[in-house]
Amino acid sequence: MTLLDIRDLSVFYGKTQALFDCSFSVGEGEFVALLGSNGAGKTTLLRAVSGLLPFKGSVFYAGKALDKISAQTRLALGVAHIPQGRGTFTEFTVEENLSLGATIVASRSQVREDKERWYETFPRLRERRNQLAGNLSGGEQQMLAVARALMSRPKLLMCDEPSLGLAPSITQEILAIFKSLNKENGMTLLVVEQNVDITLQYADRAFVIEAGQIVASGTASDLIGNEDIKKSYLGVAG
Amino acid sequence: MSLFFQLVTSGLATGAIYAALALALVLIFRATNVVNFGQGEMATFSAYCTWQLMQWGVPLWLAVLASLVGAFAIGIVTFRLIIRPMMDAPVEATVVITLGILVLFQAACMWIWGAEQLSFPSLFPGGGFGIGEVRVLASAVGTLAILLAIALAMGFIFRFTKLGLSMRAAAFDRTRSVLVGVDVERMLMLGWGFASVIGALAAILIAPRLFLSPTMMTPILFYALAAATLGGWDSPLGAIVGGLAVGVTESLGASYLPFVGADMRIAVPIALTLIILLVKPVGLFGSYKVTKL
Amino acid sequence: MRDLSLSTAIKLSLFAIVAASISVFAPAYALQQVAIAIAYAIAILGLNLLMGYAGQICLAQGTLFGVGAYVTAILNATYGVSPLATLPVAAAVSAAVGLLIGLPALRLQGLQLAIVTFGIAAAFPQLLLKLGSLTGGVSGLPVDAPETPGFMTDVPELWLYLIALACAGIGALLVSRVLFGDAGRALRAQRDNPQIAQALGVNLTRTRLWAFATSSALAGLGGGVFAIVSGFISPESFLAILSINIVIGSIVGGVTSMAGAFVGGLFMVFVPSWASDINLSLGNLIYGLALILIMMVARNGITGFIEKWISMIFRRAAG
Repeated sequence: MTLLDIRDLSVFYGKTQALFDCSFSVGEGEFVALLGSNGAGKTTLLRAVSGLLPFKGSVFYAGKALDKISAQTRLALGVAHIPQGRGTFTEFTVEENLSLGATIVASRSQVREDKERWYETFPRLRERRNQLAGNLSGGEQQMLAVARALMSRPKLLMCDEPSLGLAPSITQEILAIFKSLNKENGMTLLVVEQNVDITLQYADRAFVIEAGQIVASGTASDLIGNEDIKKSYLGVAG
Repeated sequence: MSLFFQLVTSGLATGAIYAALALALVLIFRATNVVNFGQGEMATFSAYCTWQLMQWGVPLWLAVLASLVGAFAIGIVTFRLIIRPMMDAPVEATVVITLGILVLFQAACMWIWGAEQLSFPSLFPGGGFGIGEVRVLASAVGTLAILLAIALAMGFIFRFTKLGLSMRAAAFDRTRSVLVGVDVERMLMLGWGFASVIGALAAILIAPRLFLSPTMMTPILFYALAAATLGGWDSPLGAIVGGLAVGVTESLGASYLPFVGADMRIAVPIALTLIILLVKPVGLFGSYKVTKL
Repeated sequence: MRDLSLSTAIKLSLFAIVAASISVFAPAYALQQVAIAIAYAIAILGLNLLMGYAGQICLAQGTLFGVGAYVTAILNATYGVSPLATLPVAAAVSAAVGLLIGLPALRLQGLQLAIVTFGIAAAFPQLLLKLGSLTGGVSGLPVDAPETPGFMTDVPELWLYLIALACAGIGALLVSRVLFGDAGRALRAQRDNPQIAQALGVNLTRTRLWAFATSSALAGLGGGVFAIVSGFISPESFLAILSINIVIGSIVGGVTSMAGAFVGGLFMVFVPSWASDINLSLGNLIYGLALILIMMVARNGITGFIEKWISMIFRRAAG
């Protein structure tokens, strides 16, 4: 079943058009990667879906049109967005960051339960729960960002360039966590990346975006072998 | 020596008023990056409302309570009508806008209640008590107690409640807050509401001493601006410490520095602010990200 | 480049037409008011340099304006120097005082600078009273009217107006020399990004102090003109609110525009009095509302707003 259905999505910054009639869909329980080089429009697309930018065209989530729905309501419907640079509240403690992630959750016991659960998954965050998030390492901040997003119990988790500024081994670790959320909890993932090879090891399918347009798509295994696409759009030397 | 302590206690009492108004300024600055030059005049308007209610026979405490609720509404309406549409405007535009708020509220007070000074009852009993040779007024103790109560309440809300956490988040970064589901606009609006209430309290506390007039808070605003600068524009604690420091040094300077005297006392907080800024350019408790106007 | 000089030429000739028609059609009293507006405009020209191009807010421009006015008045009333000859001195003394204020500005930015300079503005009238033997205290100082040339003795106000206009011309020339020369490039660079500017070899200390001195000199010149046009000054004319009003004039006119300075000066003098003409008791209410509404409609000031509309109309017309 389709969870996220994007049709003819266009986004403008003032008079400059950043996305041109993008169409693609993400099925429930899928792990989809959106690949593209710097400035291709990946971040813009996520921002439009999560409600930070107005758009033309249509975006359906679980059958609902999102254009008239506020960012807050989209989050309540289950669309979570980890922005580029992780969106950490650096001057707040780790624990407060998790509490903020649960802003839309009314039940206190659910918040307590979820914190416990994600501290279990990320023991390093538990060790540092009372430290300022700004003092965490890059990898720890990315884990905090994931845990924070999970506090709202999303169905669709969108993550913008998790690999940014991280060592490859830590990127692998984060992607592995996404994979297990996907496999074990049935969470749908849309991950934006430039780091093609690592991402395709984990994703089921991928779309390639270039200059604001979707230019290629396929299963991960197809794309891994397709040197032409890598060379022409992703700047990866064969 | 007893003169010294006498000056310190009276300085603390005045400083508490500066601190309260500075707190209001800082709350708004943190949340919306706006220095509200109209804060003092909005507060004066609320004090006039208290006075008016009492003229109509409402008991003092009830009148104060009702005007504080009114002040909350004034803060919210000002935000929605004037500040929100200007959130992405250049800084210069918001400076003129808040100066416009100053002129507007001052003119409204003048128009409704006239320019003459009105006497305003104190919330506290008259008289006082002596500690050694130092005489402490009940109103001074009461003013400081109210400031302490405001500070504790704010500290509690910001540190331990979900609302406070969301308000701090909205002030820290709007985009990140939207992404975790904080209703940023509502938080900023509440920030303006709370600030307006705290400012109104300051006006109600100072009115018995200065007499109520449309321009009553204009000089206080300057001291509050100095206090906020001294303490650091993004720090509520700094506003309180700054307010008290400005009050005490002003009181001491006016008596001990011969050239200053009563008529040049305004120079004291300026000098103090300048010295502290030269040592620590962001103020005592400020952080480095908010030095641009 | 040809476009630029064309638009400058259009602006200048428009300006000349407006200036000339004011002198022909305005009654004598209004001419004096306009001359005062121009005196403020000269101070605003300086402030625009500081605020619009150097990115520093000074809330003591009214104080520096007052310093200039008092230099003119003291030199004329106490030492008998002819009023026009005092103007360069007024500018120079204000520049020196401005430099003194500007020294701490090297360490302070935006908000902090604004508050400290506002403190100076608040203390200034008190200081004038303290120095009563020099300044005449509350009773103030008279300033002689400059000798009016024979052919316009009927309307001495016209002569005052022309003096003000000439000084404004000198001020505008000074500002444009600064803006379009190396100093202007340095100013803009240090406003937009101090770090990069420093890396490019812009001497921040010198640039900022230079901006402060120029701005203060213009404030002093404006103050001197104000003293001459008014014929009398007292501390009342230089309360802290004057500095605020100059900032308002600057922003309402448009901080990055020279024409904006004149719009701002006229705004300062005429809008509050028009507001009271509409309804005396509601005057300030109207003025406050006007401030808010103007900024809501024209965020970059009145000249910015007009330029936007003109360029839109031209674009429509062109295609």
